[in-house]
Amino acid sequence: MKLVMKGVVGLLVPIAIALAGCARVEPWDRDVLARPDMQIVADPIESAADQHIYFSKEASSGGQGFGGGGCGCN
Amino acid sequence: MQLKRRNAALREIGTPLAAATCALLGQSAPGVVEAQELKPWDIDSSMLIYSESDGRVQDLSLNVWGRKELLEDKFLGLTLGVDSLTGASPSGATPANVVQTFTSPSGNSQYAVAPGAPALDTSFHDTRVDVSASWEMPVARLGLLSVGANLSDEFDYTSAGVNARYARDFNNRNTTLSFGLALANDTVSPVGGSPIPFAPMLGVGDARNKDGDQSKNVTDLLIGLSQVLNRHTIFQINYSLSQADGYLTDPYKFLSVVDPVTGNPAAGPPGSGRYAYLFEKRPDTRDKQSIYALLKRDFDGDVLELSYRYMTDDWNIDSQTIEARYRFNFGANRYLQPHVRFYQQTAASFYNTVLFAGAPLPTYATADQRLGEFDGITLGLKYGQETASGNEWSARIEYYTQSGNASPGSAVGALANLDLYPDLNALIAQFSYKFGRR
Amino acid sequence: MKLSLSIAIALLCATAVARAAPPPELAPVEGRVIWVDFWASWCVPCRRSFPWLNSMHRKYGPDGLQIIAVNLDKDRALADGFLAEVPAEFALRFDPKGALAKQYGVQAMPSSFLIDAAGNVLATHAGFRTADAADYEQTIKDALSKSRPQR
Repeated sequence: MKLVMKGVVGLLVPIAIALAGCARVEPWDRDVLARPDMQIVADPIESAADQHIYFSKEASSGGQGFGGGGCGCN
Repeated sequence: MQLKRRNAALREIGTPLAAATCALLGQSAPGVVEAQELKPWDIDSSMLIYSESDGRVQDLSLNVWGRKELLEDKFLGLTLGVDSLTGASPSGATPANVVQTFTSPSGNSQYAVAPGAPALDTSFHDTRVDVSASWEMPVARLGLLSVGANLSDEFDYTSAGVNARYARDFNNRNTTLSFGLALANDTVSPVGGSPIPFAPMLGVGDARNKDGDQSKNVTDLLIGLSQVLNRHTIFQINYSLSQADGYLTDPYKFLSVVDPVTGNPAAGPPGSGRYAYLFEKRPDTRDKQSIYALLKRDFDGDVLELSYRYMTDDWNIDSQTIEARYRFNFGANRYLQPHVRFYQQTAASFYNTVLFAGAPLPTYATADQRLGEFDGITLGLKYGQETASGNEWSARIEYYTQSGNASPGSAVGALANLDLYPDLNALIAQFSYKFGRR
Repeated sequence: MKLSLSIAIALLCATAVARAAPPPELAPVEGRVIWVDFWASWCVPCRRSFPWLNSMHRKYGPDGLQIIAVNLDKDRALADGFLAEVPAEFALRFDPKGALAKQYGVQAMPSSFLIDAAGNVLATHAGFRTADAADYEQTIKDALSKSRPQR
């Protein structure tokens, strides 16, 4: 568990800090990211079907996330 | 037949189900918000056909996903899926130059495999139903919480799970940190009972090598970071941890025991009428970790999606997955999207294509190709179109092929001229219809 | 801050007025209180806010509330499409380059700024939630009563 936490801190936090400085897209410039085809998971039912198939036929599974991107409204 | 567990996720649907659901949940119709101001039901429906060549697995899957804003910014998700599985599945035994006879999983019958033919168990057809429900709501201004439960059931396998996810935005919603936790409990009730690990296959009606139901628990943790890179690009990186505990063995799979020089099947227990086949044995824990990175970039209305996943576990399996999609958007309402996926995995430390007579038994062993060393390639094409009423339909076709290697040193004697690790070739076709996109 | 906002309001009033639906003629004199609303066609809460803005316009327009909705779509056709589905009874402005949004310091979509005739920002709202509509309305009522000339 300690190794996991080290991994998280060691990997994600520096990336977060680095990326945060990357760009600050203004709220009114989220038009492209608001499009349905630009969402992290654009087609959930297709994504679930694929995950199910590959989970059944391979030794790996998951990894895909959720949240982020989009119109950033409210 | 690999026993599966579908991950629950948020999904959506639409019609006068809304009122019924409101009543069910004890929510009165929203007072402040007029009903028509809340987003209507979103329904995604799909039919999927998965078909492997050489008489192997066929799956027909029907799914409906629904999502409804019941209260402002609070969503109910419901999903329902039905799968009908038929076809044959590799049992783990190697082909031989003689006729091989196997006892079926139920123990009540037997089936024969011709010389040189792959050892496929044809006794499977199963129907699987899965349902899930989820509730998503904002937390303060910048947070989002989702909780859900899922249940799946088939003839010999039941899975029940709960999950919770939380996402928090930073940097004017340019950055999102997410956490997910899922817990599942699965019960395995194999047809004919679960085999005692490494027990030999016995004749029809002999259940001395079988035991009762089994279960396992799986805990999944996900930590993710999404970052908007510019007006056209979003990036996500996730770390996942999965721990499984309990019965992780496939009760229908076994290994062939062969003579170390001739490669011919060794004799089974006296009186059984079988060659020597031992039911497989896997560890009762498995820890997996993976890193997944995704990039999505808009190119003047088209979308490129690139992802990479590295997975490693304590069964000594390492895998890499690279996937790319490019969506050509034509006008405002149709698209064409090619897709390519490369997959590569190393074998589990206890993957053995065969066992040798006279050699000491390893601690664990499996001949299940899904834990072997192989590469997989998928090539696909998807077409989608918006209808006049604002709904959307899409169709995709994909071709998936796997080819791998038997464990080193297994191609002894007669086995050198037999296919110890047959390729898998599968066709995937899916048609979906989405309602209520407006 | 006050000065730049005054300039911003002047700019607002100076830019061409465009309306999607036949509206009641706007009073030629400036309203005593202005609600500036930044919106875009791709913003779902904006869609939810328009009927409410229309009702505020009907209810408090005669009292001196002037609503100006500034559109931030880069493609005018998208804004027109939105307005065809969700008509606006209040004044509209178009700011495709986002200059006004930047000047006002918009932090979320939609955002609104309640401004008195002197250019003071009386209230700012990031986002729109129908559950908070009563609160938004209260800030309008407070602003209107404060700017009513003393008798």
